[in-house]
Amino acid sequence: MIGYHFGRGRARWLPYLLLLPGIIAYFVVALGPSLATSVYSFTDASGLPGAPINWVGLDNYEEFLFLGQAARDNLNAVGRTLVFCFFVTTIQFALGLLVALILNQKLRGRNFFRTLYFMPVILGAVIQGLIWSLFLYPLGGPLAKFLEIFGARSEFLGAQPTEAFAWVIVVQIWANMGTTMIIFLAGLQTISEEYYEAARIDGADRWQVFRNVTWPLLTPSVNTNLLLNVIGSLQAWQLFLILLGYRNGTQVLGYLIYATGFGQTSGSVTSSFRQGYAAAASIIMFLLVLVIGMAVQTVLRRREARLMG
Amino acid sequence: MNAATSAASSTGRPLPWGKFASYGFLVLLAVIYLGPLLMLVNTSLKTTPSFNRDATRLASELHFENFAEAWEKANFPQYMLNSALYAASATTIYVVTAVFVAFPIARGYVKYSGVLLTLFVIALFLPPALIPQFQLILRLGLYNNPIGYILLFIVNPIGIVILVNYIKTVPKELDEAAALDGCGYFRFVWSIVLPLIRPAIATVVVLHAIGIWNEVILPTIYLTNEDYFPITRGLIVFQGVYGSDWPVLASAVLMLTLPMVILFLFLQRYIVSGLTAGSVKG
Repeated sequence: MIGYHFGRGRARWLPYLLLLPGIIAYFVVALGPSLATSVYSFTDASGLPGAPINWVGLDNYEEFLFLGQAARDNLNAVGRTLVFCFFVTTIQFALGLLVALILNQKLRGRNFFRTLYFMPVILGAVIQGLIWSLFLYPLGGPLAKFLEIFGARSEFLGAQPTEAFAWVIVVQIWANMGTTMIIFLAGLQTISEEYYEAARIDGADRWQVFRNVTWPLLTPSVNTNLLLNVIGSLQAWQLFLILLGYRNGTQVLGYLIYATGFGQTSGSVTSSFRQGYAAAASIIMFLLVLVIGMAVQTVLRRREARLMG
Repeated sequence: MNAATSAASSTGRPLPWGKFASYGFLVLLAVIYLGPLLMLVNTSLKTTPSFNRDATRLASELHFENFAEAWEKANFPQYMLNSALYAASATTIYVVTAVFVAFPIARGYVKYSGVLLTLFVIALFLPPALIPQFQLILRLGLYNNPIGYILLFIVNPIGIVILVNYIKTVPKELDEAAALDGCGYFRFVWSIVLPLIRPAIATVVVLHAIGIWNEVILPTIYLTNEDYFPITRGLIVFQGVYGSDWPVLASAVLMLTLPMVILFLFLQRYIVSGLTAGSVKG
């Protein structure tokens, strides 16, 4: 409120007036629908125009969590989402950190490597997915040839669900590791050289320098990356769409919401436009993100407090 | 772990073995990053029989006709035009409205600025808006309509946060001086603040436009008429038809990858600053 210089009276309302379009757009297109998801989750809304919407209470949740084979499939999808999140987060975090540490040295060609690793982020899921479908071509593609050397073979994306799922994890990390690396690099660059000097004068070896200087001072980037990776991987499923389609034994929660809500499935699994049900699944995903996000945040806060204290 | 420890010091001269391990690791990783791209290029230059015979063998003669075939059959010019129109119009609307949201919030010129900013920050955690959004567009009669599709992209909470943070670095004395000179609020934001925050604007424009260009879920939900398809959806359609003919499909993918890679080399710093905005300060 302090120090508004651009007039009084009616003129004072101008900032509010000009703010409105952006705020209204945000409420109508994003925030409102997001909150309305919980309302829809208690209805039998379908995607058909003009179809009536009835209140069904907790039916969608009950069906999603407890009813028959479908519920077991759903819970498997939830489990798979967690597995996906765990592997993507830990590997991407560790790899991103390692690469950032290496590239933070004075190495020839480091700009080239940095650009190369970061480049996939601009390509988007369709191109990323198609490039990897070709790279994982099972009939004599590059990776198939590579495995041949060891006498191994794989159907890759056409393999058993567990293995196909693992390949999606690989592509997901390939596509997004650059972002983690960039955030770590930015963090590393804020660490003053003096700390390293001091540690070296104290006779610290490389591991001790990392453990006692780099790692604690990197806290902001560690926090950002962990949260971004956890939330991002819980919600990510675009690569599943491109690489595998809606295949039994590989679905994650995000894909399940899309498939039940919009009935666009392929392969043996079909479903209709059950939007109320999909909204309930969205809320379950939201709770998952919230609980895990909060847990990570709590751990990070404690860690920060310990480092500062 | 050896590489990590050897690399732990920021600018210290690494021991020769440390440097060796570092390079070894970087090159190995580079193979995983370059390999898929090289395979794409190589495949796009081969004939289908030659690909089927030996997929990885280097293209002996260069078959550029794959590109002509893909270009002809894929209707890419139309899809690309659609994508460009969606990205340009939605980004323009978004950025113009976003500046007038971010500026008064950053300055505290509207009540509850802090609350408003929080509303944008929490967007990251909120439930997916997919279902009610669809119901809204359906009820507005904007399903399978380019205007309805563009409407989906006129918001971007992270962009607001980036702009607010950047505007805070513009000295407040400027507002006072301009006002004393008789400059009105609108003209001040439009012709003085806007040019000053150009780096942040560029970052937000780049991030937002790339997001629209690469969007794959929403076009499959909202657009059924092929004339409206953006390039992502068009590529999926093309894959559905030519999925087994890898050389043609690869040239199609390459034609879309190459411009993005070149664009990336120019826009990299904006993407970097967008991703790292706020993350370093904590």
